[in-house]
Amino acid sequence: MAKSQSSALVEPVYSSLIALLILVTACVELCDAVTVVDVYRLVQYDLAGVPFGSRLAALNHHAASSLFSSSAAAGAAADLSRTVLILPVRDLNLTFIREYIEEKKPLGGLLLLLPQVFNPQNIDSKDEAGHDSSVGIIKELLLELERLLVHGNIPYPVYFGFEDDHVNAVLADVKKNDVTGQLATATTGGYKLVVTTPEPKKIVSPTIANIQGWLPGLRADEDSNQLPTIAIVASYDTFGAAPALSVGSDSNGSGVVALLEIARLFSILYSNPKTRGRYNLLFALTSGGPYNYNGTQKWLRSLDQRLRETIDYAICLNSIGSISDELWIHVSKPPDNVYIKQIFEGFSSVSEELGLKIGLKHKKINISNPRVAWEHEQFSRLRVTAATLSELSVAPEFLESTGGLSDSRNSVDEVSISRSVKLVAESLARHIYGQEGKNINIFADDSSLSVNPSYIRSWLQFLSTTPRVAPFLSRNDPLITALKKELEDHTAEVRVQHEVLDGMFTFYDSTSSRLHIYQVASVTFDLLLLLVLGSYLITLFSFLVITTRGLDDLISLFRRPTSRKVKTT
Amino acid sequence: MTIFHFFNCAILTFGPHAVYYSATPLSEYDTIGTSIKAAVVYLVTALVKLVCLATFLKVSESDSFDPYQELLKALIGFVDVAGLYFALTRLTHRNISQNHKFQAVGLGWAFADSVLHRLAPLWVGARGLEFTWDYIFQGLEANANLVLSISLAALGSLMWLRKNKPKTLIPIIYACAGIVATMPSITSYLKLGLGWHLPKVVGFELFTSLVMAFISWQLFSACQRPSN
Repeated sequence: MAKSQSSALVEPVYSSLIALLILVTACVELCDAVTVVDVYRLVQYDLAGVPFGSRLAALNHHAASSLFSSSAAAGAAADLSRTVLILPVRDLNLTFIREYIEEKKPLGGLLLLLPQVFNPQNIDSKDEAGHDSSVGIIKELLLELERLLVHGNIPYPVYFGFEDDHVNAVLADVKKNDVTGQLATATTGGYKLVVTTPEPKKIVSPTIANIQGWLPGLRADEDSNQLPTIAIVASYDTFGAAPALSVGSDSNGSGVVALLEIARLFSILYSNPKTRGRYNLLFALTSGGPYNYNGTQKWLRSLDQRLRETIDYAICLNSIGSISDELWIHVSKPPDNVYIKQIFEGFSSVSEELGLKIGLKHKKINISNPRVAWEHEQFSRLRVTAATLSELSVAPEFLESTGGLSDSRNSVDEVSISRSVKLVAESLARHIYGQEGKNINIFADDSSLSVNPSYIRSWLQFLSTTPRVAPFLSRNDPLITALKKELEDHTAEVRVQHEVLDGMFTFYDSTSSRLHIYQVASVTFDLLLLLVLGSYLITLFSFLVITTRGLDDLISLFRRPTSRKVKTT
Repeated sequence: MTIFHFFNCAILTFGPHAVYYSATPLSEYDTIGTSIKAAVVYLVTALVKLVCLATFLKVSESDSFDPYQELLKALIGFVDVAGLYFALTRLTHRNISQNHKFQAVGLGWAFADSVLHRLAPLWVGARGLEFTWDYIFQGLEANANLVLSISLAALGSLMWLRKNKPKTLIPIIYACAGIVATMPSITSYLKLGLGWHLPKVVGFELFTSLVMAFISWQLFSACQRPSN
């Protein structure tokens, strides 16, 4: 009896020793603390009551690294409903994702990791020329992905994050787990991703702000309102899959930068009565661009009828910053219209000098179609001649080319913007001062009127780090104030017009939050630990009893209850 | 799940004290009063120690090991010994043998230490979602501390309560007591001065506590022999 007791006691000693050894060896790998990263939620909006985007914000699930890991392929699709997938966009399989979203398969959440190149906060690491081709591929992929996510109704939280050392380490660990065993659940340990945010709330009556400024022309004797007006317009707000990342360097940051620089150049000319032209110049930064140029429409409607009639034509700037030698003038009036002809001829003569190619594209507008693809179409609807200068050769689809994930600082070239600025400014100036067809350079490179690259660079930098999705901008947002102040520096009668975005759209807040990555132990580990501790305490108890009272005492401790039972039975 | 982990760590931290009390004859002689008294003395001692530390110690900006400050800390650490002396000799205990008295005092002492230093971090930390080994090591440290406290109490009772002990053993007893009393400083030196990691430090603590316990046990039985 005693012998069997002691041999039973020896076993827990060994097991506890082994467990202790495991504890000590495993410790070095496991002792890291909570990781916290910034994540940006997929946009959530209703379009005429139909829900789109990611419908949830709070996240509290285990991590996995692939949609179709070995165990999930076995048909256990329901397993994923409590799992967050971490997918780096670098090697994303789009067909799987598409299938997943379109078939509305359950998922706990989705965390998409973007390369650091696309991080607006990380602008300095932009020049990695060696990665150009891979970045191009990722951009294509992002465009596709964005289209898929923005137009889908996704019943789980979708977040975007950026690859960094911590997240990559976690991802590598998760991948290792996925390869070796089943998906991580509460019983196998692994990583837990937690985002604690309140449920997204509707943004009540989102406003859009249009900013306009004037450079009045030189009037001889009569009222300045009788002078013809040329309007230069750019829409400044953006829309993208992740509103907090939607900086839109090209669409339409480049247009805004160009407009500001043109305003600056002409303000120098117009400040001197000798060089003040006989045209009024009207500069407008409009909002609501992604939503069928809703802001432009409101702004035009609010303009005085007489004033609107003085507008000879408007030039809209849209996406003019990418590295390409081709620009397009999009019009909706027939090309033989006198103003269109004049614009096109003016532009093409200057573009030849700059080594640019200019094309004219005519697309009729369909009044019954609510879709407004170009900003100038809003002008045309009110019978104001207008043209859009853009590098895009075809009209973008709804909610596309409006400053998505891939439209970051590295997709824009300062030199291209300078060249576009020069194109517009030069052709305008030649028109205003009646120098058409003559080979004079008003904004020559070395003159006091040259295009200022550092001005362009600094504004581009600012816009490329500032998300500008209109519903998420407050009335007195720093961005609006900054744009207003900049226009005030160069033009007169600057006015900010606040309008309500048309009721078709409802947006939801909580666009960015912090993701906590916890390393969690599994329940089996805790059970094992309890077992080890229990055997340790039992061993300790027996050891102490034996050393202080003797072995017989210990045995009698166990024997007594049984003997009692015998008695009672 | 995390409550489970907290529960595990609490077992590891406080379980051995309970087991020690119930397994040894301490429970038979009902020495819980002595242990509680010792715990109260510990609390008072800790307060005095805190006041001393606050008065004499500069707040170090860095985590580096400053020998002078550490020496001061070690000296203040001897307040513990004074407290233990008080608990062993000045307190009136119920009529229990010296043999059990030092065990009860050491147990109360260690338990109070565990409650004071480990319960709050455990409650705050181990229930969090993030898993770390820290609290398991902290529990092991509590075990080492229990062994050390009892050893120190045993050596203390040899020094102050036993009159007829062999002359040759006296310097050894004092040396051992000195070593045990300076253990906190030694571990802090290992942690900060040598930059040892927690598992290594805890392993060292466990090892030394067992060695010291063995030595003090030998000394104790050696002192007991002539009287028998």
